[in-house]
Amino acid sequence: MKPLLVLLLFAVPAGAQQFTYRGFAEVQSTAYVQASPQDDRVQTEALFRLEPAYRALDWLTLSGSIDARIDSAEQVEREWRIDVRDRGLLRPAFSVRHAHATLRKGTLAVDLGKQFVRWGKADILNPTDRFAPRDFLEVTDGEFLAVIGARGQYERGGQSLDVVWVPTLTPSRTPLLGHRWAPVPPETFGPAGFVDLGATFPRRSQYGARWNVVGPGFEASVSYFDGFNHLPQYTATPLSSSPLIALQRTYAPLRMAGLDGAVPFRWFTVKGEAAVLFTTSSEADDVVLYIVQLERQSGELSVVAGYAGEIVTANRSLFEFAPDRGLTRAFLGRVGYTMGPTSDVSFEAAVRQNLDGVWLKGQYSNAIGAHWRATFAGAVIGGDERDFIGQYNRNSHVLATLRYSF
Amino acid sequence: MSDRRLGACTVALALALAFAPSVVAQDDARKIVEEAQRRTGSKSQRYEGLLEVLDSNGKIADKRWLFTRLGSHGQSKAVLRFVAPAEVKGVALLIVNHPDRASDQWMWTPALQRERRIALQDRSTRFFGTDFSFEDLEERDVNQYNYRLLGEEVIDGAACWRIESTPSEKKISQYTKSDVWIRKDTYALAQVESYIKTAVVRRLKYGNFAQQQGIWTGRRLEMSDLRRKSRTILTLEKLEYNVPLKDPDFTLQALRNPV
Repeated sequence: MKPLLVLLLFAVPAGAQQFTYRGFAEVQSTAYVQASPQDDRVQTEALFRLEPAYRALDWLTLSGSIDARIDSAEQVEREWRIDVRDRGLLRPAFSVRHAHATLRKGTLAVDLGKQFVRWGKADILNPTDRFAPRDFLEVTDGEFLAVIGARGQYERGGQSLDVVWVPTLTPSRTPLLGHRWAPVPPETFGPAGFVDLGATFPRRSQYGARWNVVGPGFEASVSYFDGFNHLPQYTATPLSSSPLIALQRTYAPLRMAGLDGAVPFRWFTVKGEAAVLFTTSSEADDVVLYIVQLERQSGELSVVAGYAGEIVTANRSLFEFAPDRGLTRAFLGRVGYTMGPTSDVSFEAAVRQNLDGVWLKGQYSNAIGAHWRATFAGAVIGGDERDFIGQYNRNSHVLATLRYSF
Repeated sequence: MSDRRLGACTVALALALAFAPSVVAQDDARKIVEEAQRRTGSKSQRYEGLLEVLDSNGKIADKRWLFTRLGSHGQSKAVLRFVAPAEVKGVALLIVNHPDRASDQWMWTPALQRERRIALQDRSTRFFGTDFSFEDLEERDVNQYNYRLLGEEVIDGAACWRIESTPSEKKISQYTKSDVWIRKDTYALAQVESYIKTAVVRRLKYGNFAQQQGIWTGRRLEMSDLRRKSRTILTLEKLEYNVPLKDPDFTLQALRNPV
């Protein structure tokens, strides 16, 4: 069967076949202002990423991305294996970041495999983006993770329908308990500490649909999702045989009805996004998350400012890790300025409305020649220990990144 | 004829003489632009663009994009995809042009894995560090502007018509007006100066003219941002017209495809 497939791929006119690739090698060092008992103050991570794509036939494109990484903070596995499912607590040393086939017939496209699915229109927080787990090992700089499944997209005129089916859950990667970015300090579990029983993953598949309309003066979508929260809840159980606390991660069933839209006005564009989230779990909340933002680009300056809100319609949760909710009831903003063809500077902020948590980040980036880019950034985090943002107040840091793109 | 009637006729004649050249100039100007548009019409276009970005001190950066267009002028769709430098490779822009109003534009950024619609009021922004703004990447249609013939001038040794074009009511533009120079020998665009209020802010000069499949095309475009004192030179390589392209390659779905 395999030789037949290979023959099929190559037995087409050369003009139909196109191969391209992009990638980079990057070294990033982060220096924290305050010490942490379990972690070094300076941490370094190196990442190599290769993203090939091959248009085998007019209607078939294969694309993927592979990562290889190592770090000093031991947040990266030290195992010689290639990870595909992204379910581990640690970042895999070698992983297939995404790999999927795109089949197109007219304006119908079907993507099969591990892929990124991004919904929503807002720029800072996307309550409707339910197929988009993230790597939250460092909470404030989470990279998106791909999900394994099938996606069909049909586009006609200004309308498009997006249908997604994901047979297995890809969870968000959460901070390592007992380390700097852990949602709770280890002393919470008493002097003996805890034992991690791992995660219980749901067996049911997830699905969702999104209908988007582009009009001359607006763009709007409605979406529906039935699946699981990719962010975990923690169940803590005292062990009868020892003084340790057993900790287990579970993922609450979740249904979502979502709405997002963008309307450009003379001076700025208004974007809004809202998600009504229901769960059948007796330990998770029903909430409405929403964001309203204004956006304006003028010359080299881009400004995004908004407010993210949350309405808890049923309060049941005891202990969960929820950065999406942690950034609500907050004013969010981003200002970017392109200084020239090779350099730019940006500032981002999230300020809780009660001022219990403040996160500020500034970044300067400069390209050197055709391949190199150096980026310097600093983040200040402050606030109350009980606030989602404020609890990371010992994690203010500066970081430097050097990237070689090819 | 009474003095009164004679006076009325004199006024009418004077008015007619005063306005006649203007009407003729408008008609002539529009006809010239229509002819220029007719001559550059094609079913599709494809080229590889080399962009050299220069500031007042010299060259800063080189970029390359692959440009494909299906249809012509106000009935066209275009995809512009960066192929170099490496860090912007894969960034793509979909432009859906309309005959009577501003285009719709979406930009795809692979690192973010999402497309973003470029709002009308944001079209004055420079496109990825070049001196072209998002609006400059639109394909103009004759019906989007009103025209006035300003006279004849020589640009780079070629006799040209100088035509003032002001955006029509439906066309939202960052520019108050543009002066367009069209070569008399080939009807090819030779130069465009774009104004905000009374000041020229951008100048686009065409050069290296050659016929490609019967269409006179300037293969060297130099866009100067006169406020920043920077310029971008776009060289059209491997230019082809009427290449077989398909409509589904000009959708948001297709924009996400890396090849």
